[in-house]
Amino acid sequence: MKELDKDVVEHALEHAMGRRVDYAEARAHSAFSEQIILRNGVLEAYLQSVDSGFNVRVLAEGGIGFSSTNRWTRDEAERVAETACRLARASGRKTRIEFSEMESNEADWRVEEEQRIGDVDPESKIGLLTGVDKEIASQGIDVPSRVLQCFADQVEKYFVNSEGSKISSYVPRVACFGIITVKEDGKTEQAARQFGYSGGWEAFDLWNVPAELVHESMVLQRVMREGKPLMPGETTLVCGTEVVGIASHESCGHPMEADRILGREMSQAGRSFIYPGGPYWLGTRIGSDLVTIVDDPNVEHSYGHYAYDDEGVRARPRYLYKDGIINEFLHNRETAAKLGVESNGSARAVGYDREAIVRMANTYLMPGDMTEEELLEDVKEGVYMRSFTEWNIDDRRFNQRYVGREAYLIEDGELGSPVARPTIEMTTKGFWSAVDGVTKDLRFDAATCGKSDPMQGVPVYTGGPVIRLRGVYMK
Amino acid sequence: MSDLMDKTEALVRKAKALGADEVIAKTTFGRRTQIRFSNNEVDISKVWNDYVTEVSMAWQKRVVATQIQNFVDAEKRVEDLFRLAKVSQPNPFYGGIASGSFTYPESRVDIRLRDLEEPTGYVGEAIEAAKGEVGKDLNAGGTLYSYYGDVYLVSSEGPMGMDARSYIELSIRAFSQKEASGHGVSCSSTLDGFDPASAGRKAGEIARLARDPVPGEEGVYDVVFDPLITGSLMGIYSMMSSAFYVMIQMSIFGNKLGERVAPEIVTVRDNPAAYSVANRAFDDEGVPAGEKAIIDRGVLKTYLHNTSTAKIFGGETTGNAGLVVPQAWSIELDPGDMSRDEVFEKLGDGLYLTNTWYTRFQNYITGDFSTIPRDGAFLVEGGEITGSLKDIRISDNAMRMLNGVKAMSRERQHVHWWEMDTPTLTPYVLIEGVKITRPR
Repeated sequence: MKELDKDVVEHALEHAMGRRVDYAEARAHSAFSEQIILRNGVLEAYLQSVDSGFNVRVLAEGGIGFSSTNRWTRDEAERVAETACRLARASGRKTRIEFSEMESNEADWRVEEEQRIGDVDPESKIGLLTGVDKEIASQGIDVPSRVLQCFADQVEKYFVNSEGSKISSYVPRVACFGIITVKEDGKTEQAARQFGYSGGWEAFDLWNVPAELVHESMVLQRVMREGKPLMPGETTLVCGTEVVGIASHESCGHPMEADRILGREMSQAGRSFIYPGGPYWLGTRIGSDLVTIVDDPNVEHSYGHYAYDDEGVRARPRYLYKDGIINEFLHNRETAAKLGVESNGSARAVGYDREAIVRMANTYLMPGDMTEEELLEDVKEGVYMRSFTEWNIDDRRFNQRYVGREAYLIEDGELGSPVARPTIEMTTKGFWSAVDGVTKDLRFDAATCGKSDPMQGVPVYTGGPVIRLRGVYMK
Repeated sequence: MSDLMDKTEALVRKAKALGADEVIAKTTFGRRTQIRFSNNEVDISKVWNDYVTEVSMAWQKRVVATQIQNFVDAEKRVEDLFRLAKVSQPNPFYGGIASGSFTYPESRVDIRLRDLEEPTGYVGEAIEAAKGEVGKDLNAGGTLYSYYGDVYLVSSEGPMGMDARSYIELSIRAFSQKEASGHGVSCSSTLDGFDPASAGRKAGEIARLARDPVPGEEGVYDVVFDPLITGSLMGIYSMMSSAFYVMIQMSIFGNKLGERVAPEIVTVRDNPAAYSVANRAFDDEGVPAGEKAIIDRGVLKTYLHNTSTAKIFGGETTGNAGLVVPQAWSIELDPGDMSRDEVFEKLGDGLYLTNTWYTRFQNYITGDFSTIPRDGAFLVEGGEITGSLKDIRISDNAMRMLNGVKAMSRERQHVHWWEMDTPTLTPYVLIEGVKITRPR
């Protein structure tokens, strides 16, 4: 892995600071990445890459300029700094962009690996995936397509800015993706699962990928054998943690991103149902008082973990919806300044060649005090949607749809036969207002959140407990 | 031959000397600029310089690949890669890479895009054009990209080529009200074909027509699809035509070669021609990346192949090799024989949808999916727009929709934006019987 040349990064910052700017920063990002692709037990390819470079971002004359390179020389650092300064001045804005105030930070933080990624040889990494494949293929279920991918990234960063911040970090991340197709009596069903962890290779012991994917194949087979379509109508819906996690992410985390709220993402990922002067704002009710959704980068070893964001702001939990009320937006320094608050450390970038924008980390519904048995015993007729397949939401984050992958009828508080692809299409307010029961469980799933142009897929957790919604129209 | 070509070739020679069976090295030296704007003002201007060499090699059917930046530690990285190959596992389906020598068309790259320093004016042109449609209430955002890059490819099996690639594209979304918007794009490989004002006008016109939307009703509708939304759908069909996606059962086209998958009026091609923002002379094996029909007059003619997948399916490479799997470069949907107005006349009563996002599948084999129209969505009666709609979703089947194509316009537009992976040249398309749902 190429070590960051901190002198070059600091030289780039100093060069920018010498050119009459209001603010400057230099951020280096060096990633050693491995990717293993396995199809039906056969290794398609083993990819390794080093992606290492730095950028300079400046604020000058009310505009922002950004320039990046993967050429590590002092001359290139000067060129990049000069380009960023020139671009900032060329923006010609009528309204000046400002960054919120923050204290400077000096830190050197890292995520520890119990089993270092670099200590695991390629044969073992391949062997682990082929072992997963064998386990899925040996259950007596027809799984004609099994695609397994493993990603291991070792990311080193160095951030310096004109206000005196100086932050070094090292974060190893491991991820595994599985996509399976199960065939039964001429029909097919498909499932995709993602596992993610900040830390070392010990992640695979924690995930138990073979058992999880075998479970998925058994679920799909049973749905094809026994699953019946749902009769459309109003019913009680119980959502498993995976569904609660995606709903928290899509209809709370995203609409609470202040750059969307202020329109900066308007032409790509879209805006939000929350906007200045609109019907929803801080203090407005959006769900029942059982709904508290937090976004917290501090969850140890989580896929979305960080201690300082990519603007050098210390990370902290953000209570987005609190007791059913819109409570706090996700901010970077640019959006925080516009709304007169301090950044809450939500700026993230996936590489040296991307600007840090407002992102989630680990978004989840806070657990309540019920057991799952207590949640179910009060349901005379309903549907338990444990996991989802197709999903989407409009670009205001108000009109969402989830289609069940593993789902069962509930009859007199007991789980009954599987339901084939039960579907909800609900508004954000309708979904969260219908919640009348929350269990004390908390489970996370890994996901890659897509946003920005160029696309930046950042690692996140989604999660929550099991919840119950009353009076939901399902089909 | 340039110094960069020499350095690229040296890496191939190095890998062969180590004992690799086949090696490809591709060096790209590129410069990309971007201006992002929102609320009618520039938010950030960016320049990226990228110096990357991709090396892929096979040793006894073990396939490995890496990226090397700016030739730093290049020989050592090739040695590391070869060591990785030796401890990797064989892929019995690996069929090698293309061999022989090829001639490539001369690049029609626009050298002006290499030196483009102050493109902010194009953003202003687009915003002003949108304002001309919407008026003072306009709130517009978007992205301007420009790119110029030199590509040097050397294969141990013979192909060797140099290419220059360029493009400029502007994407603008115009709002006339909080829930009334339109989207327009202008995409070209050269400045001559680039018209930012036309993108702004279209975005503004749709935003103006989309004012005061009302919730749409569930039902089955005949729908005219704008080139922007058609391009998004074509991107999905083109992904599904990659042989790799067929092999991993992420495609509606599995086991359908030679079968009718669409009406006779539908011909879909992959063609990274000179006009396209994805213009290229050769694929990542050095095979000429020419025009080929994927669906020819409704019949599925070929999957998109690299040399290896072609051998599995008993055919020839189609010049679509990416670093690992075959991919579409630039899609063309052949034009119809009607004007745009005649397509709307043929529609009579139905919907006109202008854009979409967030397309997700329940099952890629059956093609059951949904996607969310965004920007202008219109009720059409008697061929005329009579109302603006919101809060609707297409909840249908990809194969059924392909079979439901009834008419296409002669006018086509080359489209590409953030939500669309594959650039597409496409007409307005009328599809019958599209299932629309909405939240309750």
